[in-house]
Amino acid sequence: MSDLLRRASAILRKDLLTELRTRQGISAMLSFAALVLFLFSFAIGPNTALLGQLAGGLIWVAIIFTGTLSLSRAFQTEELAGGIRLLRAYPGDPRAILLGKLAGNLVLLSILEILLFPAAGILFQVDFLPHLGPLLLVAALGTFGFSIVGTFFSALTVHARARELLLPLLLFPALIPVVLGAVGATDEILKGDPLGRLAGWVQLLASYDVILFVVCLWIFPVILEE
Amino acid sequence: MVSDVAPAVRVEGLTKRFGRRWALRGVDFQTPPSTVVALLGANGTGKTTLLRVLATLLRPTGGTAEVLGADVARSPDAIRRSTALMTPLGHAYDELTGVENLVFAARMCDRPAGRDGLLELLGAVGLEASADLPVRSYSTGMRKRLELARIRLIAPRVVLLDEPFTSLDGAGVELVQDEIGRWRSEGATVLIASHLVSEATRHADRTVRLREGKIVEEARP
Amino acid sequence: MKGQKTLGLVSLVGVGACTIFALFVLPPDRLQGEVQRLLYIHVPIAWVAMLSFFMVFLMSLLYVVQRKLKWDLMALAAVEIGVLCTALTLVLGSIWAKPTWGVWWEWDPRITTTAILLIVYIGYLIVRSMSDDPDQRARWASVIGIIGFVQVPVVYLSVFWWRSLHQPPSSPRSMASAFGTVMLLSFVAYTVAFTYLMIRRYRLAQKELAIEMRGPEEAP
Repeated sequence: MSDLLRRASAILRKDLLTELRTRQGISAMLSFAALVLFLFSFAIGPNTALLGQLAGGLIWVAIIFTGTLSLSRAFQTEELAGGIRLLRAYPGDPRAILLGKLAGNLVLLSILEILLFPAAGILFQVDFLPHLGPLLLVAALGTFGFSIVGTFFSALTVHARARELLLPLLLFPALIPVVLGAVGATDEILKGDPLGRLAGWVQLLASYDVILFVVCLWIFPVILEE
Repeated sequence: MVSDVAPAVRVEGLTKRFGRRWALRGVDFQTPPSTVVALLGANGTGKTTLLRVLATLLRPTGGTAEVLGADVARSPDAIRRSTALMTPLGHAYDELTGVENLVFAARMCDRPAGRDGLLELLGAVGLEASADLPVRSYSTGMRKRLELARIRLIAPRVVLLDEPFTSLDGAGVELVQDEIGRWRSEGATVLIASHLVSEATRHADRTVRLREGKIVEEARP
Repeated sequence: MKGQKTLGLVSLVGVGACTIFALFVLPPDRLQGEVQRLLYIHVPIAWVAMLSFFMVFLMSLLYVVQRKLKWDLMALAAVEIGVLCTALTLVLGSIWAKPTWGVWWEWDPRITTTAILLIVYIGYLIVRSMSDDPDQRARWASVIGIIGFVQVPVVYLSVFWWRSLHQPPSSPRSMASAFGTVMLLSFVAYTVAFTYLMIRRYRLAQKELAIEMRGPEEAP
């Protein structure tokens, strides 16, 4: 087990170090997210009340679009280095690869969200601060749900000929519970959870995360075989 | 030849298919430990595929393959702990320095990851000056030396070399040859796949020639 | 072969009889009128779509455990039938919905999940087309088959929850009462037809695979 974590952390550290050196990924994510937010604001119009109502949905759409952008890069670096099969040539449980890449994706998305939420708060005139605790929980659950399926399907499609088509196609059904759950929960938090529905959304997100994590982790080695 | 020592590598009726193409069409071969075997043949004859199957990177389509007594399909992890594959381009991340790449390799195989030890390794392959430069800036020959250092770090009992001499200058080739000699004297089994016959056979105890996925000739050079 | 022909005949007769009965013999529904007849086709087909989906999951699981290509071929058969049935379910449902609810589409949990199911199936088929190698194709496809099956109930639940928040729970649909004899017989008939189609498609897939795979002695 510690062997698994050691190797996953080695992969994580390598990826973060690479990211630090190039800063390509994170800056692309940041500018893309900003673009999405602004575009939506212009598309919806200067109706501040409306924008405030839609804030939860807009933020999560931005996170998911941006997240999808960075997903394929996690495995592209492996392709440039000689292919993921060489990573698999190292001894130990190959699931360390999934865990390491998942952790990397989580770190990048977290950095994005720390900047995105305040920016959205300003643009849509929504105050997130009083709800920081619940928001952190929902953000964590939603981001995790996105990352686990995203990383998994990225690994699956890395060799695909029509990767740009296939990854969104495969990802879309998988993300519906995440989007509905995260946006639903965020909306409830911002409204002050008058009908106590937040718990239901959180439960949905948490169960989804657990189920998908277990299944993806279990079946991951099959993807790597040749 | 009957031997009472268990073979280091044993392959029986091994076939491997990629879609419609059969890369290996029934390979039978075995070699005792502490030997150097040269795998010869033109490109596309199945040398790389054979090495990859032995390295457990590819699953056989049919037949069996065993390395140090472990079956590639049933006990791949045991094989990965004691085997290393050196690929023509190596396995290195461009944005990381030479040392950082070795640190990663060390962590992945549970070898010591201390900077001093790794610098020594890099020195042994002539890369001490470029140890802290990103691999992006390395020439092909330097990448090959880094790959050699990585294999040395792993210290495997079965070494699989896929085209180890390409992209190297005279000094580099000698480095690899010295390494092969050293491995053999330490009791490791070395398989060298190369189209450069004279280099591949220099330390070889046996040669095996492949053509169209089958062994067509076995000899002692 | 004899057994297969009998099965085929039984399926044809069964489905044909139920359809004729539903479309021409039964009296029109009090509330919904003539369009209600479509349900006698729509509902059993929806059932077959769900059955196919479960089959895909089962076959994918069996492949991952046993690595025998026959399971992969059966999964393929189930997916192809499933895609067809899911698409038909949506189309027939749409046709039924327009006169009944006044709209072609509703963000109802069942309808939405069915549409998602179609997307998952299509994803499965696209993933299959990604590879020429039967083993690799089977591996990737079985992964989709398993993950897809796990996803769909959660999608249903999340859409259900989402809907219940935005709309009062009384949905204009009232299906539970329609389970008469003809409906039950239709279920049986369509399931038999499904089995027949599965067998036919599986045997065809076996032959296709045999053509694809040639022995090691033959030239590439």
